[in-house]
Amino acid sequence: MSGADFLNLVIAALLLAGVYAAMAVGMTVIYGVMKIVNLAHAGFLMLGAYFVYELYERGGIDPLLGVLLAFPVFFLFGIGLHLALIRRLPVSDQPTLASLLLLFGLWLVLQNLGYLIWGNADRAILTPRTLSVLRFGPLTIPAVRLVVFGGAAAALAGLELVLRRTWFGRAVRALMQNRDAGRLVGIDVEGTARVAFGVGIAFAGAAGGMLAMLYSFSPDFGSPFLLRAFVIIVLGGLESFAGVAAGALVLALLETFSIQVLPASYQPAIAFSLLVVALAVLPGGLAGLWSRKRRWA
Amino acid sequence: MMAAVAAADGGVPRSRSRAAAIAATLGACLLGAALAALPLFGIGPNLIRLLFVTLVWVTASVAWNLLGGFGGQVSFGFAVFYGLGAYAAAVALNAGLDPFSSCLLAAGVAVVASLAIGLPTFRLKGPYFAIATIGVSEAVRVVMTNVSATGGASGYRVMERGTFHQLQHFYSALGLAAGAVAISVLVRRSRLGLALVAVREDEDAAADLGVSPLRAKLLAHAIAAALTGAAGGIHARYAAYVNPQGEFAFAISVAILLMPIIGGVGTIWGPVIGAGIYGLVHEEIIAAFPELHLLIYGSLLILIVLFEPAGIVGLLGRLMRFAGRHRRRGRVRAASTP
Repeated sequence: MSGADFLNLVIAALLLAGVYAAMAVGMTVIYGVMKIVNLAHAGFLMLGAYFVYELYERGGIDPLLGVLLAFPVFFLFGIGLHLALIRRLPVSDQPTLASLLLLFGLWLVLQNLGYLIWGNADRAILTPRTLSVLRFGPLTIPAVRLVVFGGAAAALAGLELVLRRTWFGRAVRALMQNRDAGRLVGIDVEGTARVAFGVGIAFAGAAGGMLAMLYSFSPDFGSPFLLRAFVIIVLGGLESFAGVAAGALVLALLETFSIQVLPASYQPAIAFSLLVVALAVLPGGLAGLWSRKRRWA
Repeated sequence: MMAAVAAADGGVPRSRSRAAAIAATLGACLLGAALAALPLFGIGPNLIRLLFVTLVWVTASVAWNLLGGFGGQVSFGFAVFYGLGAYAAAVALNAGLDPFSSCLLAAGVAVVASLAIGLPTFRLKGPYFAIATIGVSEAVRVVMTNVSATGGASGYRVMERGTFHQLQHFYSALGLAAGAVAISVLVRRSRLGLALVAVREDEDAAADLGVSPLRAKLLAHAIAAALTGAAGGIHARYAAYVNPQGEFAFAISVAILLMPIIGGVGTIWGPVIGAGIYGLVHEEIIAAFPELHLLIYGSLLILIVLFEPAGIVGLLGRLMRFAGRHRRRGRVRAASTP
């Protein structure tokens, strides 16, 4: 592998990591605040992809604008789902049997609604941007990946700002650390959980739209990404936003470089093996590494 | 939900529970005998096939309940054990091994797989096990699709010498299902069963009392895997053909999880009832709604979790309590009116 090839792969992995982080962060918000593993994440990714696709095909709305529109639409969708279903789950500090099964059932419903509405043919969003490439000497960067990375980075920066600067963000971070203590200082746990669920779903829908600009999709679109999102948040230690970024980078690097040695059809097995290795070696995730160091100090 | 499950299987007073246990055992023996005698009444081969498939489902459903129901560890990947068992039995049968040893081998392979999944994930508290099982059947399917020794994506044919006896298959499935129910009863009454329930209710408290959560979960997972693998092996021998899209299908994992939930998770008979209903109705549903059946199952899952977490067994119990209260009230009124 020449130096330019190596650099190209690193850039490709970096750009991929941005989307992966946007995809996984919604899951982290929901897990952190509610201790619910959002198994229906894949369903929302898929719906986001079709949302952006339909806006583009029917309304001629640019996919990037479509992704922007996906945020409020899926936020409201998430709020509605929380009111209708999630609210009824028992509150717990651990994922319960009931919450896993409920969200799994929701995933099955969303996925098969997708099949009902759109059939099982593969679709793709093709814009003039899709195939154009930027060249910097020996380096080539697909334009659409750069655009999607920009979108993902902006969304993540926005979320970070909200979490750092607003009352809601402080409440979310407090509940992630300790729910009971949060309640003691007067945080509205259910209200915060409702908004957090909405934010998680909004990120899932928007990330689905971003992924739809890069890949073709069908109603089964989300499931390979569901496992990737899990791997990323487990690598990130489940409840850490910096961990999500690091986890996304590790997975993207591994996937991009493994193409060199492994056939592409083995890609789903890579994410799974990484999960097993992470659990065996780094039970606290990457974030556990530095917190363990801090504890020793 | 946990409380509901606990009430469904632990809230019965001792004296009544003994009578109920004897009645249940008698009922089970009668049911088994009736099923065993059924082919003697000249029912058609298609009905026997349907019963055979249902018994395979009963085995897998009871197996899932050992870990998911008693231990509270949700697995979304039991198709791995089913598929690996099917492939192992297929390979063994083609190599000339007898059917019994082939199914033992299928169970053994599934146990090894269960340890590979369980060892890294069960050490940790939290959702890691459930998360890992989401991807595991996907990953194994990808690998099996690319393994050329077993035909890759186009599948693998089982060539067994000798004539085909449908009843022999039926009785082997009946034997396995009965064995699974017996194991379920034994586990529930053993130290392992108590340890599993303790882990389900509160893992930290169980560990404080000297229960090793890791050991209990690993053991239950291994027993469940062995039963599911043997069920896959028996089915592979009957179908004489295995393929990655069929044996490792996501729909199989969904089915194995759905059956005990429908019937009543954490009980002895709930998974049997759920599998009985699923096995007998599933093909009709597929035929009537080829595109909708997973949508129906998903909605069913949501409804059960929200409204009757203890499944059909819970519903029956509620009806019986309601009827009992009604009768008592009627008696009181009858005594006070004259």
